[in-house]
Amino acid sequence: MIGNFFDQFWSLTFGGLSLGFIYILIALGYTLVYGVLRMINFANSEIFMVGTFATVIVVRDLFKFTQSSEYATGFRLWFILGVALIITMSVSGLLSVVVELVAYRRLRRRNSGVLAPLISAIGVSMVLAESVRIMTDSRPVASPRAMEKKFLGEFFDAGIRLDNTIIVVAALVLFFILWSFINRTRLGKAIRAVSMNPSAAKLMGIDIDKIVSATFLIGGVLTGAAGFFYVLKYENTGSSIGFELGIAAFTAAIIGGIGNIKGAFFGGLALGLLETYASFFLGTQWKAVTVFIVLVLVLYTKPSGLFGESITRTRV
Amino acid sequence: MINIRDKGVEIWENSGKTTRIAIATLSIALVASLPFMGGTILNTPIASYESVLVYPIAMFVLMAIGLNIVIGKSGLLDLGYVAFFAIGAYTMGLLGTKTGLNAWEILPIGIAMSMFAGLVLGVPALKLRGDYLAIVTLGFGEIVRIVALNLGPLGRSEGIIGIPTPPPIFGVEYSFDSHRVYYWTLLIMILVAIWMVRRLSARRAGRAWESIREDEDVAELLGVPTFRYKIWAFVLGASVGGAAGVIYASKTLFIAPDNFTLQISILILACVVFGGMGNIWGVILGAVVLGYLPDRIRFLSEARLLVFGLVLVIMMNLRPDGLLPRKKREKAIPVKEKQ
Amino acid sequence: MNKKIQRSLAVVSAVALVFGVASASTAQAAKQKGKVIYLAFQGPLTGEEAQVGQDEVAGVEYAIKLFNKKYKKKYVVSLVKADDQGSPAEAAKVAPGIASNAKIIGLIGAAYSGATIASLPFYKQRNLPMVSPSATRVSITDPASEGGAMGFPVFHRVVVTDKVQGPSLFKLATKGVSTPKVFIIDDQSAYGVGLVDYMKPGIPAGQSVGFDSVSDKTTDWSATIAKVKTAGANVVIYTGYFPQAAPLFKQLRDSGYTGILAGGDGVLSPTLPTLAPASVLEGVRLTAGTVPLAEISAKLEADFKKKMGKASGVYAAESIDAANVFLSCVAKGVSTRDAMLKCVKTYKGKSLAGATIKFDINGDVAGGTMNGFEVRSGVIKFTGPIK
Repeated sequence: MIGNFFDQFWSLTFGGLSLGFIYILIALGYTLVYGVLRMINFANSEIFMVGTFATVIVVRDLFKFTQSSEYATGFRLWFILGVALIITMSVSGLLSVVVELVAYRRLRRRNSGVLAPLISAIGVSMVLAESVRIMTDSRPVASPRAMEKKFLGEFFDAGIRLDNTIIVVAALVLFFILWSFINRTRLGKAIRAVSMNPSAAKLMGIDIDKIVSATFLIGGVLTGAAGFFYVLKYENTGSSIGFELGIAAFTAAIIGGIGNIKGAFFGGLALGLLETYASFFLGTQWKAVTVFIVLVLVLYTKPSGLFGESITRTRV
Repeated sequence: MINIRDKGVEIWENSGKTTRIAIATLSIALVASLPFMGGTILNTPIASYESVLVYPIAMFVLMAIGLNIVIGKSGLLDLGYVAFFAIGAYTMGLLGTKTGLNAWEILPIGIAMSMFAGLVLGVPALKLRGDYLAIVTLGFGEIVRIVALNLGPLGRSEGIIGIPTPPPIFGVEYSFDSHRVYYWTLLIMILVAIWMVRRLSARRAGRAWESIREDEDVAELLGVPTFRYKIWAFVLGASVGGAAGVIYASKTLFIAPDNFTLQISILILACVVFGGMGNIWGVILGAVVLGYLPDRIRFLSEARLLVFGLVLVIMMNLRPDGLLPRKKREKAIPVKEKQ
Repeated sequence: MNKKIQRSLAVVSAVALVFGVASASTAQAAKQKGKVIYLAFQGPLTGEEAQVGQDEVAGVEYAIKLFNKKYKKKYVVSLVKADDQGSPAEAAKVAPGIASNAKIIGLIGAAYSGATIASLPFYKQRNLPMVSPSATRVSITDPASEGGAMGFPVFHRVVVTDKVQGPSLFKLATKGVSTPKVFIIDDQSAYGVGLVDYMKPGIPAGQSVGFDSVSDKTTDWSATIAKVKTAGANVVIYTGYFPQAAPLFKQLRDSGYTGILAGGDGVLSPTLPTLAPASVLEGVRLTAGTVPLAEISAKLEADFKKKMGKASGVYAAESIDAANVFLSCVAKGVSTRDAMLKCVKTYKGKSLAGATIKFDINGDVAGGTMNGFEVRSGVIKFTGPIK
């Protein structure tokens, strides 16, 4: 088994990495909202699900790809991917803002604690999942393949595939854009301020509602990007995929320290790799158990995750 | 909107002992006669009304009372409550089919097993707070299901078939279709649970839980052994879930991992919050409404879960503290504060 | 104050909606002429499992539509759709409701074996005949299982059991392979695990090189693929459903796997070819007890699509067959449960695909031959029965 593991080590690692980067983007959606509101955005998983459908619709209906189409190449390929990514990010971002308006805003103004918004967000996610299910005749939906999954090269016998590479590079870029946005811009500063102390931020003249909307927008946009990459890699979606992935991404955010951007990054990576290695070693059926044990161990030694809970490194 | 809770409390507080007994007897009689009202507007389309009364309604009420000890009383967010329900049910399933024990003998064992599981999970998990606890309990709920799914003796995905019904008690026969008898059995268990919770709330434990819920650090500083009381709340909550599980398995005769999904945990949590966290009557009302609604609106066919989700969103927005919320400062100030 | 009134109004209207509309849905069938007969369908119609049930109920409704048109003046068959979400817990409350509704004289379902087992006591007690299009668990009709065939006498099925399909699937998958090295993956459902359990004893020594058991919510298969590769398998069998099979097959092929891919009737959905590129699915081997609509005739599929507004789905042919068992009894004038049960027990008719359907004493479809299929340029083609 060990020998086999080393044979397959790099291909497992590449698979785990690209899964991990998808987790990172969804986990960022959870973590940003949590950082600002201290609430679990339960509907984030369905925002992701809707994002995957946005990508499928763009590829299938806008660019008219079918399962037997020729692959797009060169400029046309990058154009299609770009359009799909931007549309998906916008759809998810806007949906996320709407979710905040419907499920959170009123409750937040009334200061109603953590659980009421949690339940109303669960309600929203049921509505989203069931609406999409009815619209798709309860059937799974595939995105036709627009891009050839070609191998770029080899690394110790393991092929480096184009789609995995795109995911890793693009997710890294998105992450660093977010990082500098939060740390360098005015709006980012305001988000940090609200996250540290909402009342003080309000006293300093920050419009809390606007900041919360902005946070949901950014979280939704990143979650939408995850939806795009998910479709690029797996090419299949359905109305019920959100739940499982949402839980996984949320676990990733917790492992890293929820509310902490860096935590979401390393938590997502760790979870993607851990799941892949554990499935190989112990059998896929014990994957969730392994994740759980690691989660308990991490939280037992570091009660607020690997990197602590704060939207940036510094918290007074 | 009229504050139903305060009205109710007012009537209760202002009546004498005889009136109180009268009110209590009358309400119990009314609730106990619910199975006979299948012919009325309460009837559920397609699903059997009487069996809906047993599961989900009465089961949900019982579990919501149990979960309310954990969440409503002591403020610990538990997203894996179904684990204890499953442990109770699997204890019944295994012992009922493999040994000669009957359901009444297994009931205490099932309760003990789920309490033990509560302890095993609680000791490491209760060091954590809020949402960290939520994810760990959620994980635990899934683990119990996954273990049942993968262990041969637990029947894997095929589950356990042929679980015996409880033997007659005081001449009352149990069979798989005696929904009413199960309903009344659960009603008695619910009353016992209510009694237990009310006794505890009025005593030291209740005050300790409340102080933990309001501010754990302050409670600790004031000398409340918070960890011990948290474990207590957790284990007590687990015991109620386990009891529900034993009865459930003895009614359905067949259990499989599919019966114990995360969705149940979430639904029970929704019952607690929807009804009014911390107030036992609110929690009961919440469980009744959320257990009943999906079956009552079956005539919507495909759209029924969608409508159910909408109801959750709308009602939480209209009544963020639940249908019958707990008083803000329970028991802290004498009643004559209202004008 | 105004706001409060608004809020109360909202609550009142919601309550009115819940209690008010109930009577509207039952009154439809009565308008038409002819004797009204009620049948029921039980399966997952909402929630995560809804896809199987929705595809099946479309088949049942299609059969009923044809029947009602044919016997316009004489009979009107009305279908009660009972949603059990594929879960035993839901089934246990739906079943007593259906069982005690004396108007219903036959039940198509339940779709899932777990739900069937949870429902059976109620249907047996009220003598409601059942014909399931997709409950494949062996123990339901197996007299050798603990406590005898638990479905006897009411349960019947037009689908072949795991016991028949498991070995056939293995046979088809390894056909023409000189040194098969088979890797078997199940989806952790009772269906998938059952198929593997009945496949295992028939595997010749040295031919199986590995097993994996993967939750049906999985989309990332890289760990499983790594196992397939280290095992050096040249045949991969997936016992699960098509929504997971499509990504698995895709990821296997993309990783450079060139061997045989195979699956059972859960994978054989007419929608499978829409879920993966034709190049990936080329040569995928599938088994089923029946033949999909489009393979029977393109006209049939076109008619189905026209009448139901969507292409036929998984277990569509089985569902139509199951409905036809009851419908042909209705045409003979059967209008009670007892008569229906007798009629189903002695039923002998043709399936859509032309095979004979009759039930043995325990409710299994007699004979129960397995058919083999292969995907060729994006179309599922019938390759003949498996012997």
